[in-house]
Amino acid sequence: MYAIEVKNVSKRYGAVQALDDVSFSVKKGEVFGLIGPDGAGKTTLYRILCTLLLPDAGSSFVDGFDVMSQMHEVRKRVGYMPGKFSLYQDLTVEENLKFFATLFGTTIDEGYDSIRAIYSQIERFKDRRAGALSGGMKQKLALSCALVHSPSVLFLDEPTTGVDPVSRKELWDMLLMLRERDITIMASTPYLDEVRRCDRVAFLHHGKMEGIGKPDVVLEQFRDIFMPEALPLHGSAEGGSPIISVSHLVKAFGSFHAVDDISFTVQKGEIFGFLGANGAGKTTAMHMLTGLNQPTSGTGTVVGYDISTEYEQIKKHIGYMSQKFSLYEDLTVAENIRLFAGIYGMKKKEVERKMDELLHQLKFEKHKNDLVGSLPLGWKQKLAFSVSIFHEPGVVFLDEPTGGVDPATRHQFWELIYETAQRGITVFVTTHYMDEAEYCDRISIMVDGKIKAIGTPEELKKEYHQPDIDGVFTLLARQATRSSD
Amino acid sequence: MKTFLSFILKEAKHILRDKRTMLILFGMPVMLMLLFGFAITTDVKNVRTVVVTSFQSPQTQAAVERLAQSEYFTITQTVATPQEAERLIRNQKADMGLIPSPKGGGSDGLQWQIMVDGCDPNMAQQWTTYAQSILSQPIDAKHYTPPSPLEFPSPLGEGLGARSWLGVRLLYNPQMRSAYNFVPAIMGMLLMLICAMMTSISIVREKERGNMEVLLVSPVRPLMVIIAKAVPYLMLAFAILITILLMAHYVLAVPLAGSLFWILVVSTIYIILALSLGLLISNIAKTQLVALLLSAMVLLMPVVMLSGMMFPVESMPVVLQWVSAVVPPRYYIEAMRKLMIMGVGIGDVAKEVIILTVMTLLLLAVALKKFNVRLE
Repeated sequence: MYAIEVKNVSKRYGAVQALDDVSFSVKKGEVFGLIGPDGAGKTTLYRILCTLLLPDAGSSFVDGFDVMSQMHEVRKRVGYMPGKFSLYQDLTVEENLKFFATLFGTTIDEGYDSIRAIYSQIERFKDRRAGALSGGMKQKLALSCALVHSPSVLFLDEPTTGVDPVSRKELWDMLLMLRERDITIMASTPYLDEVRRCDRVAFLHHGKMEGIGKPDVVLEQFRDIFMPEALPLHGSAEGGSPIISVSHLVKAFGSFHAVDDISFTVQKGEIFGFLGANGAGKTTAMHMLTGLNQPTSGTGTVVGYDISTEYEQIKKHIGYMSQKFSLYEDLTVAENIRLFAGIYGMKKKEVERKMDELLHQLKFEKHKNDLVGSLPLGWKQKLAFSVSIFHEPGVVFLDEPTGGVDPATRHQFWELIYETAQRGITVFVTTHYMDEAEYCDRISIMVDGKIKAIGTPEELKKEYHQPDIDGVFTLLARQATRSSD
Repeated sequence: MKTFLSFILKEAKHILRDKRTMLILFGMPVMLMLLFGFAITTDVKNVRTVVVTSFQSPQTQAAVERLAQSEYFTITQTVATPQEAERLIRNQKADMGLIPSPKGGGSDGLQWQIMVDGCDPNMAQQWTTYAQSILSQPIDAKHYTPPSPLEFPSPLGEGLGARSWLGVRLLYNPQMRSAYNFVPAIMGMLLMLICAMMTSISIVREKERGNMEVLLVSPVRPLMVIIAKAVPYLMLAFAILITILLMAHYVLAVPLAGSLFWILVVSTIYIILALSLGLLISNIAKTQLVALLLSAMVLLMPVVMLSGMMFPVESMPVVLQWVSAVVPPRYYIEAMRKLMIMGVGIGDVAKEVIILTVMTLLLLAVALKKFNVRLE
């Protein structure tokens, strides 16, 4: 008997064909990966299998029950973790778990065996509010909540997005342990290392099932999308003047040192990767560099201005793009560009000329008057990046700029970064994708508020005897002692 | 049952841990009660009065004295000509001018002209009525204690048959205290707002965070999810109701003339009605912001404007009267006025109670029917 059977399922929202004649089946106890870019129809598929949506056509069975007619039976047997699932922030860890346990008609004690491996890691924080947990711990708690009633099928919609590599590995170790208990898992992920840990994967694109099979086979089959040619390494910047220079920077919140005595320099035109696990202090450090936050002690200059006194000047001479905020979705492409150019005080004529140039370069001319909300995520990210360097800043800060898109789109994004660096704009980037770290000229790895390693990717790999940056990162981040992660 | 209880417990924790919202929920009724009770009052008090002394007689003296003795009027100035009095009113120095003239036909041979600042017609009307009644007191009683102006001894009883006037007696609210009027109105407004707004927001919040998907996928019946979400707000509404009643009684001295039991029963029906409305809103709204706007705008506006809380329904255009016929607070406020202030039995508010009950059942049925067991 198959744990999940999907036969010719289609679903349409208005003009969008979310799922187009999708069929596949998953064996009991299998770990099944669902891969594909944002908007490929993954979430719709999850919702249909969890009885939350009715398909327009086709039929599907979960654990032998029809998702359309046997809703209650299906709901008793599945565990579901939606992508944006965020627990109850104002309840404690234990209260959250207790609530979900009773929801499924069981108790923590009864279900403890099924969640022991995961929950034991966060149990010491059981009186802490879920809102105060780090990303990795939240996911572990969410997974505990989804598992407490020992479901026979578990649906995980991008469970590791925004989680640092070490926590991701731990989470997947746990998932693979569940397989031994015959729980079928269907999970989606944008990370290739996670894709490779699945038994089989299906590649969904524009609502169509493009390929299904062993991970390596599928990845090979769609090589262009998943494993684009490695970028030619960007020529390391000539030893010009340092554009960012920081010494003994400290940011303390009470007795807690979020950033604990860091010193480094970044050369003009360099691509500098700023890595660290969740809670290591990356964001706080970035805030100090961009003038959003004042250091407790230590000094630093960015584009020649002092970060403690001349932060207003700094803000004028840098660009900033974060994953959370990019552009206004309800404004058109041109309106967004004009707005941000206006914020930086650019002349009107110059804005129009440069905008045409930019749109031409991005091949966006046709979409000049489209609402940003209607563009695919990858396009938005490219546009947001172009807007952040529109006023020709000395440095651009990118805070996890490529979340949620497929490797091919990320690859295009990095080509854009390379071009920018070529033009002499320094790029300061944080990312959770370790393959992206390899593209940087130099990287630093933060652990517990300190910079544990800094250098070119090659140097670091040699120093720590690891085949790739992922290995180096995992090695260093595992030494973290901070309780927040 | 255990699931149900743990659900309610979880919901209660959400409410209790959100200190700021709690503060607003309990602060708002208290604030409103104090504001309406002490600051915004439509009672007549200390009207600045200017008396024109172009004609004087012992009778005018006596009348003016009587006026000054009442707490309603304060004689701020005396001037020589009516023109001066008018100027004072125009300059916002006085609210009312009194001009006596000798050629009147009254028993005391006096006629009064009253000049009033008519910017607020309602208030002007009230001042005039008050002043008229005091001035037209029988002059004979030299040591006359000022009565409540609208509650005069019948002229016949005094044996002063020479004059005829209308004797007005105010029932239920002899001092014309506006608190009697607005306490039921505030109850109607606040209970509606809090129940409808808070339930809809709390349900939509679960949708927004993706938690609703998980709750729906669990074996728990969706209906139970919704009822469990409503119960803590039901209790919260009761707490607020009791706060209002206590404040009305002990701070504003509004009598609870009717049976407390029936007041609570009718309120419960009304609260359930408001909760169903909140549920309906949560079906439509996709984000917390929309839920907030819907409950604030769509509910609050008609409640304030059309429920008879501020403007009497009877004096509205017919079309608006029809609209107001479907505004539930109208019946609740009406019933509360009767029960609390008039102290009538439940039989006398049967009409309102029946209408409210029917509305509640209807709304509840629609809300539960529309509640989706799936997404979309």
